[in-house]
Amino acid sequence: MVGSPVLLIAIPLLAAFLIPLLGMVWKESVRIIPGLVLAYLTFLSASLYIEVINTDTIVEIIAGWRPPWGINLVFSPLTGFLTTIMTFMGFIVWLYSYRFKRNVEFEAAKKYFIFLMLLVAGSVGIVITGDIFNQFVFIEIVGISAYALTAFYTGRDSAEAAFKYLIMGSLSASALLIAIIIIYSQLGTLNMAQIAANIDNMNPYYRIIAMIFFIIGIGVEAEIFPLNGWAPDAYTEAPGPVGGAFSGIVAKAGIYAMVRMMFTLFDIEGPMKILIVIGLITLIVAETSALRQEKLKRMLAYSSIGQMGLVLVAFGMGTKAGVFAALFLMLNHAITKPMLFLSGSFLTFNTTEKYIKQITGMAKKMPVVSIIFVLGALAITGFPPFSGFWSKMAFLSAAADENLLFIMATILIISIFEVVYYFRVINRLFFFEYDDKISIEPHKPGFNGMIALFVLAFIVLMIGFYPSSVTGFIDLAADDLMNTHQYIDKVLQLGQTIIQ
Amino acid sequence: MQECTAVRSCNLGIKTLYFSMDTTELIRIGVYGTSILLILIGLYAVLTKRSLIKIIIGLSIIDGGIHLLLIGIGYIKNGTAPIFSPGSENAVARMVDPVPQALVLTAIVIGFGVTAVALSLVIRLYRHHNTLKIDEIKNLKW
Amino acid sequence: MKKAIVIFLLAVFGFFLAVTFLDPEFEIDRNRNGVKNVYLEKTVSELGTANTVTAIVVNFRGFDTLGEVTVLFLAATALGSILFKKRHHIGDRTVLIPASSIVSAGAKLIFPAIILLGAYVFIHGHLTPGGGFQGGTIIATGFLLMLIAYRDFSISHNILSVIESFAGIGFVVFGLLGFMNGGTFLQNFMGTGVLNDLISGGVIPIIYILVGFKVAAELTGLIYTILHEKG
Repeated sequence: MVGSPVLLIAIPLLAAFLIPLLGMVWKESVRIIPGLVLAYLTFLSASLYIEVINTDTIVEIIAGWRPPWGINLVFSPLTGFLTTIMTFMGFIVWLYSYRFKRNVEFEAAKKYFIFLMLLVAGSVGIVITGDIFNQFVFIEIVGISAYALTAFYTGRDSAEAAFKYLIMGSLSASALLIAIIIIYSQLGTLNMAQIAANIDNMNPYYRIIAMIFFIIGIGVEAEIFPLNGWAPDAYTEAPGPVGGAFSGIVAKAGIYAMVRMMFTLFDIEGPMKILIVIGLITLIVAETSALRQEKLKRMLAYSSIGQMGLVLVAFGMGTKAGVFAALFLMLNHAITKPMLFLSGSFLTFNTTEKYIKQITGMAKKMPVVSIIFVLGALAITGFPPFSGFWSKMAFLSAAADENLLFIMATILIISIFEVVYYFRVINRLFFFEYDDKISIEPHKPGFNGMIALFVLAFIVLMIGFYPSSVTGFIDLAADDLMNTHQYIDKVLQLGQTIIQ
Repeated sequence: MQECTAVRSCNLGIKTLYFSMDTTELIRIGVYGTSILLILIGLYAVLTKRSLIKIIIGLSIIDGGIHLLLIGIGYIKNGTAPIFSPGSENAVARMVDPVPQALVLTAIVIGFGVTAVALSLVIRLYRHHNTLKIDEIKNLKW
Repeated sequence: MKKAIVIFLLAVFGFFLAVTFLDPEFEIDRNRNGVKNVYLEKTVSELGTANTVTAIVVNFRGFDTLGEVTVLFLAATALGSILFKKRHHIGDRTVLIPASSIVSAGAKLIFPAIILLGAYVFIHGHLTPGGGFQGGTIIATGFLLMLIAYRDFSISHNILSVIESFAGIGFVVFGLLGFMNGGTFLQNFMGTGVLNDLISGGVIPIIYILVGFKVAAELTGLIYTILHEKG
């Protein structure tokens, strides 16, 4: 027993409080400690996950009060799956940004790593908690870390992007609070399992209102239309690796919260039209916007939003195949998108504007990074035999099962859009000549960054050529989400494995 | 109910009718109504005001309204504070719901934290643009 | 035109809110069997605490409080990160208008009283209404008064940082201690003592005192950061 789920949150918090102290004594510690913490989190999460798969879901009690009177954490095939991905990606982002602002501005670096660590810890908290108010608190933790990271650079626009993000985040947090108020006043509990068990006792009208407020409340983090106005700017203004963290970690937690609410709290069975509609609109608007972008990070941001829309559509189908496809898409996106952000960050290192045309012909100067970028693009757009192909196939087959021809057609058209805008970049990278006047200086990437990229590339290739290595896990996670009764039983009767 | 034989009795009759609505209901409508009003006012400020500070004030007003709402749902008719003193251990049934109070505590602190961050962003924006008017600061596409 | 749209939307929104909350069916005390009953019962019997709200904040829902403390910490750090200046001048202040004589005469008198009140509030959090957050805020207000009244009043930012960090670490450590003493995270592992005594309630007053220090240090640091922001 390596530890228990609560350590996934307690340790990062402890480290965050320690870093200011240790930073006074030994400067390098502010870079090393987050790395150690994130590595430990990944390891802990993975080992707990393996245990959960082999035995049973872990429900952990906090403060010695059994649910529903105390807060509880739930580490299940679904939550463990997501947590392991998120902690691992957090570690990768740390690795990539290890040399961040190395010899300059120690204070800034210290704060960067604190925010990064708490961003991951908060996202993990959103996923493993079993209590809706607790989830709200973690959403706020992620929110403030994200606002601070967006405003990290001292340029003109970052404060504005962060401010916009903050306003929208605040409004949505208020909506979430209203939803919690409605639920608590009618059901008298804040525990997710108990709410799920008693939801039928609630007046249907109140149920719908609460659901709407929940959707608004979680929608900003999940980046759905029209609550994602902040996202392109925030992704663009934040440091490159942070864009990877946002898309790979935060957005996943947001989608999880949304889905947990719909599937478990409100116990909705069958197709969820509202998710499908929201997802489709998000997808279409985002992908068409991506076509028009001239800045690399902004294009990647819109692409990321679009992918989240696709994931929501898949969840909205309400079938196990749909959930399977959605989780597969999430997994691939969580690995590939950060890879694109990180490699893109290297490619556009020496410019502040990050226009695509500034990396013309960069392939000759930075061949390895360029190839990894291409790999990411191929994987995300769904070219066989790369990872994205399998997830898109899963999606199409799930849609075909339900005879949702309109959705299938839309996805295929959108895939063409994706190919267009990604290949525009690749075209510029490889097939144009490097011109001193337009292009920027190539950047020699550091050792740590290259390792991070290689690890991601390796995983992408592995999923692509051996999808069965991950499909087993995804299947279990999908089962877990679909089975509301099991969730309720496990929590309220404390399942079979209790962490004491 | 007495019969309305004289003018004075009639007036009493009307007054009795008016107060037949439970005081609890009145309190409820008053508190909820005020909080909803606050939320709407705050929302109006956030959506229409042109000055950054006013937008942040709007957010604070919304927070105030929501916190009021939250405490309001904890009310129990003729309830007392959920604090035990020697000899009152059996008064549980008459105590107000303590959970919303605990939630509000957390919510207030979180709201405060977010407001602080928002104000610091405004300071930085002011540094760069020397104005608080949102129209002149909108560089990025809205 | 835009204002008209906004007002219309707000009217619709307000209508939905009103219909939900002002509906007679949305009655008070609907959830007679909700979790609060257990909280009210167990506060005295198992936790030995007189103030139920404190018991909920620190013990039953202590995890939320941990998150809240983290939010405050993040806010203070974010402030420092967003208002970053390259060089730190001590004594550089943006408050250029000197305080009036009433303020400067009275501040010195009131300050100790404020600190005392704040300390009282957070030490007695488990007995009377109040607690760490409330008391910490009161203390921070005292410091704010001093900072406004006197131009040369200064506090070492480092000390604040150290207090903040130690308090935060203390909170998590107590939680872990509960973990290791054969229980779960944040479980009360100390004896509960006699109701209404100052030393009662097990870990609860200790944690709340730590929270009080943390909040006071954090808020003061926050005010300090903003005051030292050169325009």
